[in-house]
Amino acid sequence: MTPNEILALLTIGSFFVLLMIGVPVALTLAVTGFFFGYLGFGGLLFNLLPARIYGVTANYTLIAIPLFVFMGVMLEKSRIAEELMDVIGHLAGGLRGGMGVGIILVGVLMGATTGIVGATVVTLGLLMLPALLRRGYDKGLACGAICASGSLGQIIPPSLVLILLADILGESVGTLFAAAVVPGLLLSGIYCVYIISLGILRPDAVPAVPAEERAAVSGRELALKTLRVGLPPIALVVAVLGSIIGGVAAPTEAASMGALGSVVVAALARRLSWQVLTETVRATTRTTAAMFFILVCSQVFALAFRGLQGEQLVHGMFGFLPGGIGADIVFMLVIVFILGFFIEWIEISYIVVPLFLPILQNAGVDLVWTAALIAVVLQTSFLTPPFGWALFFLRGVAPKGVSTMDIYRGVVPFIAMQVLTAALVFAWPGLATWLPRAIGW
Amino acid sequence: RAQKVFQWKMTNAYNPGSPFYVTGPGSPAEFAERVKAMSGGRLQIQQFGAGELIPALEGFDAVSSGTVEMNVANSYYWAGKTFAAQYFTAVPFGLNFQGMTAWLQHGGGQKLWEEVYAPFNLVPMAIGNTGVQMTGWFRKPVETDADLKGLKMRIPGLAGKVYAALGVDVKLLPGGEIFPALERGVIDAAEFVGPYQDRRLGLHKAAKYYYTTGWHETSNVTELIVNRAAWESLPADLQAIVRAAADACNLVSHTWCEATNAEALDDLVKNQGVIAQPLPAGIVRRLREVNDQVLADAAAKDPLVRKVHESFMAFKSVHDRWAGVSEAVYQSQIRTTQGAG
Amino acid sequence: MLNASLVRGCELLVEGIGRAVSWVSLGLVLVMAGNVLLRYAFHTGSVAMQELEWHLMSPIAMLGMSYAIQHEGHIRVDVVYSRLPPGLQRIIEIVSYTMVAVVAALLVKLSIPYVLQSYAVGETSPNPGGLPWRFVLKGFIPLGFALLFVQSVGAALRTLLGGAAGIPLAPAAHDGAEAVRA
Ligand code: NA
Ligand code: NA
Repeated sequence: MTPNEILALLTIGSFFVLLMIGVPVALTLAVTGFFFGYLGFGGLLFNLLPARIYGVTANYTLIAIPLFVFMGVMLEKSRIAEELMDVIGHLAGGLRGGMGVGIILVGVLMGATTGIVGATVVTLGLLMLPALLRRGYDKGLACGAICASGSLGQIIPPSLVLILLADILGESVGTLFAAAVVPGLLLSGIYCVYIISLGILRPDAVPAVPAEERAAVSGRELALKTLRVGLPPIALVVAVLGSIIGGVAAPTEAASMGALGSVVVAALARRLSWQVLTETVRATTRTTAAMFFILVCSQVFALAFRGLQGEQLVHGMFGFLPGGIGADIVFMLVIVFILGFFIEWIEISYIVVPLFLPILQNAGVDLVWTAALIAVVLQTSFLTPPFGWALFFLRGVAPKGVSTMDIYRGVVPFIAMQVLTAALVFAWPGLATWLPRAIGW
Repeated sequence: RAQKVFQWKMTNAYNPGSPFYVTGPGSPAEFAERVKAMSGGRLQIQQFGAGELIPALEGFDAVSSGTVEMNVANSYYWAGKTFAAQYFTAVPFGLNFQGMTAWLQHGGGQKLWEEVYAPFNLVPMAIGNTGVQMTGWFRKPVETDADLKGLKMRIPGLAGKVYAALGVDVKLLPGGEIFPALERGVIDAAEFVGPYQDRRLGLHKAAKYYYTTGWHETSNVTELIVNRAAWESLPADLQAIVRAAADACNLVSHTWCEATNAEALDDLVKNQGVIAQPLPAGIVRRLREVNDQVLADAAAKDPLVRKVHESFMAFKSVHDRWAGVSEAVYQSQIRTTQGAG
Repeated sequence: MLNASLVRGCELLVEGIGRAVSWVSLGLVLVMAGNVLLRYAFHTGSVAMQELEWHLMSPIAMLGMSYAIQHEGHIRVDVVYSRLPPGLQRIIEIVSYTMVAVVAALLVKLSIPYVLQSYAVGETSPNPGGLPWRFVLKGFIPLGFALLFVQSVGAALRTLLGGAAGIPLAPAAHDGAEAVRA
């Protein structure tokens, strides 16, 4: 190992230690990056930081973050969303886990409108977490379900992960979008089955709305209430999805339809006031800026990892591989999974995929299938502690009384389900390759 | 005596893995390999795709300030820093690969390029060329310039301004969103590169009308920029090696495009139901009129732009007459009669 | 008390800029939705207005950072932290704010030449009809980190003086938001 490779390992190690003792996430990223980067390559390379930071703030696709956050905050501040979860609970009747399944379904719908994990997790966290906790859901499960559901947008198209992979693998974006649909829905289905099974095995973790409370609400009342509280969010999903499908807006632009729609919906419900608007823009700005602060600081870490030739570490590891293309693919996925604990998905895609691409091409592996596998495994990186974007975003909006440990504990089963989904796609490539062929994309 | 080994970094405006722009025959990756081989390992260039070290369009500043030694991009991305840069990639109704390369190498183009970049401490050179690009993908056929009114098109840069003057609604979109937007009809048309790269993006699955020979990019130069101080630190033989490798890649990347575009277009038309045809002559004439005015206006604003503009246009008018009796006749008569027998 | 008014001054500055820049997020919604609707209904749009969409991100992100931290505190992993004695928590807190101030100062220093480079060449959009003055957009980077420096110094002082100087450990809650979460 070269001195720089040792420093790259130390960067990751110190990051982990500082993070665990409670140093702020953003500071951890910046300090380890600066310190070990400086030891390894001196000060010169840090002159590239402003360019990287500018790249984050001038990234067109990331505009979706403030727009979706605005939509979520507006629904919350105008109190339109307050009863949504309760209505879902009532609708689920005696089915334990009904509200949990509701969260997954909302995640699928929001995921179909955006590829930005942060925005969905924050929106779900603001709208759903307080209601779930009030209903006595297990804290860990509620947090895990929200993080997992909020990350679905990265596999369900449109998705940033797939757009980037399409470029690196040389496949068309449309083909990869089509390839990810079945694995994405499969993953969502597995989440739902898990939550419903939990309702049977651990009923107290996912309680249904008590029977007497349900009885107190007549069918007609419930129908009216469903209409009243269910219509606005559905209208917004229609505004966002509909504007993409109807050819009104490109994927990122569609977020603005949701944001504008939330103002209209609040006005129609007569909940729009100067105070609501003021609180909405302020909370939107704070939540957005908090995310960007971590993103900006992660540039220091990523630059240092690059400058210390961190990608050589990965390259060096696969000299030890046994033969066989199957083993190569599994090894690649394992690397993606492990790196997912420490580094964000963009860096992982750039580091790992180009390394393996020549091997995959030589062996004639179906790259569409490979992309679907990588996307499912990359999905785990959003949820894996200590460094998972979804976890931080939820942490930022979670009510008091929810600790980071609750979130960490809660995501573990969902990570396992993602690995299971990857295994299924590995065993049955048709899960990924069937749809693109069937629709001719 | 032991000779100094140079370890350089080369960033790129295109994503890792992009054929032509980053990897493959005649690409910057091949450039780095050639330099390493020719120099016996004395100049080693590590390439970074867009986003690996810096974002896509940050290479100009990074090389200018000397943090990175080299960057690969197209000069027209820097039109916001110095407008004359536009001419060293392509201007609408400009020169083809032969003409452009001839202007750069023998018509004073290279000297002007160096003059334009001198204030930025940059040494530029051509390292690749896509050859002629395509007008783009349209969801519906266009017959007259009236069909351009209100047409929503993804078209960045100078060509966008020309289209806009004919009533096109110019839409800026990042590469990844072109496909979903075109497929759903958010936009009616989109420009990208040529058959090989366009097929890679899947644009034929979103729109069927492929308008060919791109009036807006009759060829397209890939540029290599080198930090001046770094360049001057190289001994003369290494400088010669860099220039030789860049010249080789300029040619090899272009011939690779010729070969792959031919195959891709054949596949698109025969197997994917694509209708490939040139833009109607009437529309091209209107675009030409507007374009001449747009370029003349830009040249009038700035003496440096005027100097480059006049050199380019003077060379072009002479070259046009030569091409008119050589290439044009080849294209219109010689080539097409070959298969008749 | 000089220190107390220093803390107060830092917080008021961050609060004022944060509140003002918040309205940019509404501007972003209106500009982007407006572009979409105008294009759809009237098949018209301008390059400058399209560029304005992502130009509005920079002020929200860079000027909003300190405002976010002042209200919600830093995001951290509290598994071990929450079990530490309050004294130790305070020490970590003061060291963290001080380090953030150092990082912020470093980034101000690094980004000023980058902004000046853009200013010197009069950088504009490479798209004809696009927005001029790109140095303003880039200038939000050093401005944002300068504000973060101010916020961190204020917060470090507040934590340091806490109790002794009669300053509560958390700044007064604004617009109904809960008090700063450590
Ligand atoms: Na998505
Ligand atoms: Na992770």
